[in-house]
Amino acid sequence: MSTAFRTQVVAVVDRDLRRERRRGDVLWVTIPFGAMALFLFPLAIGTDSALLQRIGPGLYWVTVMLFGVLISVGRASVETQAQRDAASLLGLDPAAGYVGRSISAAGLLIIFEVILGVVAIVLYGFDLIGIPWLIATLFIVAIGLGLLGSLAASLVGSSSSGSALVPLLVAPLAVPLLLGATQAYEGLRLGDSILPWMLLMAAVVLVAAIAGVLTARPLQES
Amino acid sequence: MPAATVIELSDIGVTAGTTPILRGIDLEVVGGEIVGLFGANGAGKTTLLRLIATLIRPAAGTGIVLGADLSGDDRYDIRNRIGMIGHVPGLYPELTLGENLRFAASVAGVPADAVETSLEAVGLLGAIDRQAGASSHGMQRRAEFARELMIERDLLLLDEPHSALDKDAVELVNGLVGKIAANGGAAILVSHDRDRVVAIADRSVELAGGSLR
Amino acid sequence: MPSEIPNPRWPWVAIGLSAAVAITLAMVSPSDTVQGDLVRIMYVHVPAAWLAYLAFAVTLVCSIGYLFTKNLTWDRLAASSAEIGVYFTGLAIVLGMIWARPTWGVWWTWDARLTLTAIMFFVYIGYLALRKTTDEPRARANRAAVLGIVGAVQIPLVHFSVVWWRTLHQPASILRPDGPAIQDTMMLWALLAGVLAFSVIYLSLMAKRVELHRLNDTLHVAELAADRPVAGASVSSPDLDEGTADV
Repeated sequence: MSTAFRTQVVAVVDRDLRRERRRGDVLWVTIPFGAMALFLFPLAIGTDSALLQRIGPGLYWVTVMLFGVLISVGRASVETQAQRDAASLLGLDPAAGYVGRSISAAGLLIIFEVILGVVAIVLYGFDLIGIPWLIATLFIVAIGLGLLGSLAASLVGSSSSGSALVPLLVAPLAVPLLLGATQAYEGLRLGDSILPWMLLMAAVVLVAAIAGVLTARPLQES
Repeated sequence: MPAATVIELSDIGVTAGTTPILRGIDLEVVGGEIVGLFGANGAGKTTLLRLIATLIRPAAGTGIVLGADLSGDDRYDIRNRIGMIGHVPGLYPELTLGENLRFAASVAGVPADAVETSLEAVGLLGAIDRQAGASSHGMQRRAEFARELMIERDLLLLDEPHSALDKDAVELVNGLVGKIAANGGAAILVSHDRDRVVAIADRSVELAGGSLR
Repeated sequence: MPSEIPNPRWPWVAIGLSAAVAITLAMVSPSDTVQGDLVRIMYVHVPAAWLAYLAFAVTLVCSIGYLFTKNLTWDRLAASSAEIGVYFTGLAIVLGMIWARPTWGVWWTWDARLTLTAIMFFVYIGYLALRKTTDEPRARANRAAVLGIVGAVQIPLVHFSVVWWRTLHQPASILRPDGPAIQDTMMLWALLAGVLAFSVIYLSLMAKRVELHRLNDTLHVAELAADRPVAGASVSSPDLDEGTADV
């Protein structure tokens, strides 16, 4: 990776995180919405604590997946044509743009996961087991969703109906992340090895990263 | 030695979906030239600028800008030599003017200290920490000119360059355009302010009915 | 542009013949000892599922072909195959449900293969939706090709995850969606005839669909070449002579 590429990636991450800090979309909209969703589930399916303890981790990860994707598409969709043009004419490598956007999405997703995790533990009462593995899971899922979300956002481009399409594109491809995260927790609970699941999730991340970087330039001309 | 050709368009056509916007465009611009581009609303001036900036591909005809084919992949390599300021600002409203320029400097590979120098040149150093979204249209345009001052461009494309600018800023724009022309580059100014542009342009072209005259 | 669009007969003849053979064999083959006549749904369900997977594989190959050659024919092939694949997948899922309800008393089970098939259905619905949101042919081809490849490459990972998941949570019952293995020769012939008929249907639909896409693109090009006024011609000088003093 050349210095210029790295510099551009850092510039994009810096730009996106500053914009998010000033906009506050994730902090004031997506996180509360996700927390609300976690709160609504017991209202609908019953408040039996044994049931909630058992299905709580699953509900948490589904919420992360579905609402987390909004973080990727939210930021990408607020870039105007003029801003995109200006960035292109600065010589921004589309692949650097993709990597930068994915990293900043992943960073915001980790914050999202941690806050929602606290909410889920409070509401559903399940235990934190194998904390280092759980932290690794949080990171891998965040990076995977960031990459898939940014790739999907690049695919739909600036079309008006596009942003609604991004969750539909991401959700099926993110199934291994969902299964990996939930099965990893189950495995930790039962004392089984969870390395295969971690490796599978890592493979998803790797494929998404390679695909995103290789297709960044062909997609930009769309 | 004759000046190098910066833009060479031959029978260019551009469409949006199936609607033709431009048809049969021929244009040649050599280094050192400042060209004024006029036309009625909806004539396709902005589309022509974006085409020359390599941001859209021609549907017909051939175009060479700074040696790169507008239909080929080498057009990516020349993008950082083209500056464009549209009539809609391309700044990020949540970022300050300084942060916007620092982003541009990082991506373009320009040293960070050029940010303050160029903001000072356009008279915005005092507003370096003002959010772009909280700045007036004129201030945002000045900031975009500061961006173009920072980066060495061989071709400058300006859409309504004098709009929302006070007298000092107009001088600034003219100075920037003149500097690029003096260095062998070229500039195209799209404007409704015929007098101001004719005063600095070497020649004018008129866009009407999708074609250039 | 031809004044008459060719409409060859051979696809209909081929479909008719192969379908007739398949239906006949499906009807005369013996009923299953456990499922009874319900087993005949398998002669449509299983070929539909196999052809769906084949169709998506063709989409992958043609998407790669497009990105390498930039020839729109590859894109038309990829799109047509995906469309047919989605229909076949939907058909397989619905037929599976019709078979499952009387057999197991449920419309759906979380068997690995069924779950994976449903996920693939969503992936390619997304592919078709993406094509719909993009009007410009080249942009549409670029985006669809990328999704076609990314989707297909991620599918094995999805497959592994779902299979492992079900392995860990296999229910006590050993029921599988395609029931007991087919042991009777007549049943095997009926199944093969079904696969042949569906293959013929796939090829015929592909031929028609690719031709339709090609005609659409020809129309698009013809519209561009036509002497239509440029967009700017719709703007004229305002006429302020009529009294509108309040303007």
